[in-house]
Amino acid sequence: MSPETKTQAALEVLDLTVAFGPSASPHIVLSGISFQLGKNEILGIVGETGAGKSVLAQALLGLLPGDGRITQGSVTIAGKPIAAMSEGERRRLRGGTISLIGTNAKALLDPVERVGKQISRVLRIHRPCSRGQAWKETIDLLDKVGIVDPERRARAYPHELSGGMAQRIIIAMALITHPAIILADDATLGLDATVQVQVLDLLVERARQLGVSVVLITHDLGIIAHYCDRVAVMRDGKIEELQPVEHFLAQPQTAYSTSLLGAARAKPTRGDRLAAPVASAETGMDKDRILVVDNLCKTFDIGGGQPPVIAVDRVSFSLERGETLALVGESGSGKTTIGQCLLRLLPPNSGVIRFDGQDIATMEEPKLRPLRRRMQMVFQEPYVALNPRWRVSDLIAEPLDLLDRVPQTERRRRVDELLEMVQLPQHLARAYPHELTAGEQKRIGIARALATKPDFVVFDEPTTALDIRVRAQIIDLIRALQQDMGLSALFITHDLNSVRSLAHNVIVLNRGRIVELGLTEEIFEAPKDPYTRTLLAAELPIEWSDTRRSGAGRSPVVALGA
Amino acid sequence: MRTWLMRPGAAFGAALLLLQVIAIVFAGLLAPYSPTTADPLHTLMPPSASHLLGTDVYGMDILSRIIYATRINLLVSITAVAGAFAIGVPLGLIIGFYSGIPSAIVMRLFDFIQSFPVFVLGMALVSVLGQEIWNVALVLAILFVPVFARLVRAEVLSLRQRPFISAARCSGATDRSIMFRHILPNAMTPALVQLSISVGMAILLTAGLSFIGAGVRMPTPEWGLMVSSGAQQLILGVWWVSLFPGIAIVLAVLCFALLGDELRILLDPRRRHR
Repeated sequence: MSPETKTQAALEVLDLTVAFGPSASPHIVLSGISFQLGKNEILGIVGETGAGKSVLAQALLGLLPGDGRITQGSVTIAGKPIAAMSEGERRRLRGGTISLIGTNAKALLDPVERVGKQISRVLRIHRPCSRGQAWKETIDLLDKVGIVDPERRARAYPHELSGGMAQRIIIAMALITHPAIILADDATLGLDATVQVQVLDLLVERARQLGVSVVLITHDLGIIAHYCDRVAVMRDGKIEELQPVEHFLAQPQTAYSTSLLGAARAKPTRGDRLAAPVASAETGMDKDRILVVDNLCKTFDIGGGQPPVIAVDRVSFSLERGETLALVGESGSGKTTIGQCLLRLLPPNSGVIRFDGQDIATMEEPKLRPLRRRMQMVFQEPYVALNPRWRVSDLIAEPLDLLDRVPQTERRRRVDELLEMVQLPQHLARAYPHELTAGEQKRIGIARALATKPDFVVFDEPTTALDIRVRAQIIDLIRALQQDMGLSALFITHDLNSVRSLAHNVIVLNRGRIVELGLTEEIFEAPKDPYTRTLLAAELPIEWSDTRRSGAGRSPVVALGA
Repeated sequence: MRTWLMRPGAAFGAALLLLQVIAIVFAGLLAPYSPTTADPLHTLMPPSASHLLGTDVYGMDILSRIIYATRINLLVSITAVAGAFAIGVPLGLIIGFYSGIPSAIVMRLFDFIQSFPVFVLGMALVSVLGQEIWNVALVLAILFVPVFARLVRAEVLSLRQRPFISAARCSGATDRSIMFRHILPNAMTPALVQLSISVGMAILLTAGLSFIGAGVRMPTPEWGLMVSSGAQQLILGVWWVSLFPGIAIVLAVLCFALLGDELRILLDPRRRHR
């Protein structure tokens, strides 16, 4: 990299090494990170949990937590190394020249202050102007980041806003000082796919218009493919490769990148999947159906004299033996509530749930208990669904202890068998949940659900919050288990890719109602309902195309340092 | 456990506890005099070689009385708190798990007990029941039941909502198995920490009740009573009668407060390995 290019770069990082812990035996978190960020460039940084992405963002802002420190190398922003800056200069830098958009916008906003005030305060710190002037600029900007009725929204408190709206507020806060660089650290994590594309479209479009450079930190290769000019792949605190996205997608240079792309693109061929059972609602005798749901309703009282919230509104469907049905929809569509009603973790308000011919919607708990061994659930968040004080062997064996009452030797044999089934080593039987990775915890959850050899399993968001490669492994595992055990499964998810690879039939839910129901292929290829179309359009396939999102004003790839 | 004892707070607390246990077990061997024999010829003697901590207004040896008093003070406090724990924890578990009208009634009863200043209620109850040492223990137990029950109930209320409870229900667990196998072990930590802190508080209360004359009576060796018997002499420059039992109270309370704090660290499940 020649020194002449330096003047071009908005941000230059050279051989950056960051360490935590005692200086005698430091824990190196980042080592030898070097890259340049060109003016008006969008650089994606992708990597799995623990790769050091967030620490990098913190180092760039000079905000390393605890005893973290830069032990080597330099960060140069707009031609000036941050190490040479005074504390005051650094403060002006943060929020003024370089600003951060973090994950979980609602937690980043002060809950007791109006959001407009919080934005205008940032402006007034960096550029002296009157309150009135700052407020006016805030309203203008809120309008530009797509907030309807900005005057009123600016006077709202954070809890009055939706997640997507709060994220826009954070974006406005980052843009208000016209910074040269924006760091977006997993800025859309936890948002629904449709909201995610809206927020990212907006951020990238604004950045292109204003000539701002952006570092997009993410673990979603779809986001990289659609919004970034160049991509840096991080692993274990190092940059594995750095090149234009187009080349990266076509020809990754390292084996690690290849495996990441492979895992993210994994789309099963049709033959891969179970032969669809005779299927479709009209045919099929009642005895072929393991589950029949008729007019299920569930409301929640929110108190305060307000009318109850209708979470599930007259939902009817049925499930054949050996069938996999996916329930898709955004957050708040009622899909998890339906799953919990089916297993009677929540009592339904009305409707019939017939499991293998018996109506369980109103069945007494003692009568229901023997049926529980035949219907199980894999819970959404793996860690919190495991008792933190129990060892893995006891966690897996709990259903056996409660329902099958097997002798000790048999119990141990079954635990080993189940661990093998979910592809975990046997020595983990003695571990506690907090000693496991998220993927391992998920597998334990699956092993628990399969312990009693159930006929029907509800998988609640089995792939969310997992890294790309772990996600692919879990999907493979579920598919293999279903083939071996002939399970009937209800798949609750918003990850459309996993639906494609696992489900025979799909139900699309919106606000507690079924908007579309049918064969997976048909719905994905020819969605009839406008809501389904919106959902599908929000997907970001990992492919290079010239019609990328928000092409507006997109600059040609600046092949800096290439 | 070993690394835990390396912590200064834990080591100091454990050492103090050991000291008290030795005093309780070997009081007969350690005490140079009988704790209850008056000696009219040697009253209010300052600390000297024959009476290391001096004598009181009856001529009784203060060191011997402090050693013997450990038995009374500690045993009363520990019995009272243990009783309160044994009743309060299951009660808290039940009223936390089943929130209904009976639970609400129990909670209001706790409000009633706790709305009185502890000293006033303690005095009233002891004078109704009679100034017996075990009545003091009973009164303390009554005062501490709501403390434990409330702590456990609060934990249960939040644990009840956790997904692993739903997961257990899915696995076919009954209410009883959920309560005792899942909720109770996870709800115990604050109660166990409170256990140790409460013993310290009970020591202070026992001594306090005796000090104001609502606890045990002379000549029983008891720290609070000893402080009170020396209080009138303080103005005459006789400081040793009150000071030494006072130090004993401070050290005993400190010991259990320290152990309680350190217990919290020891009981964190994330500290456990393999």
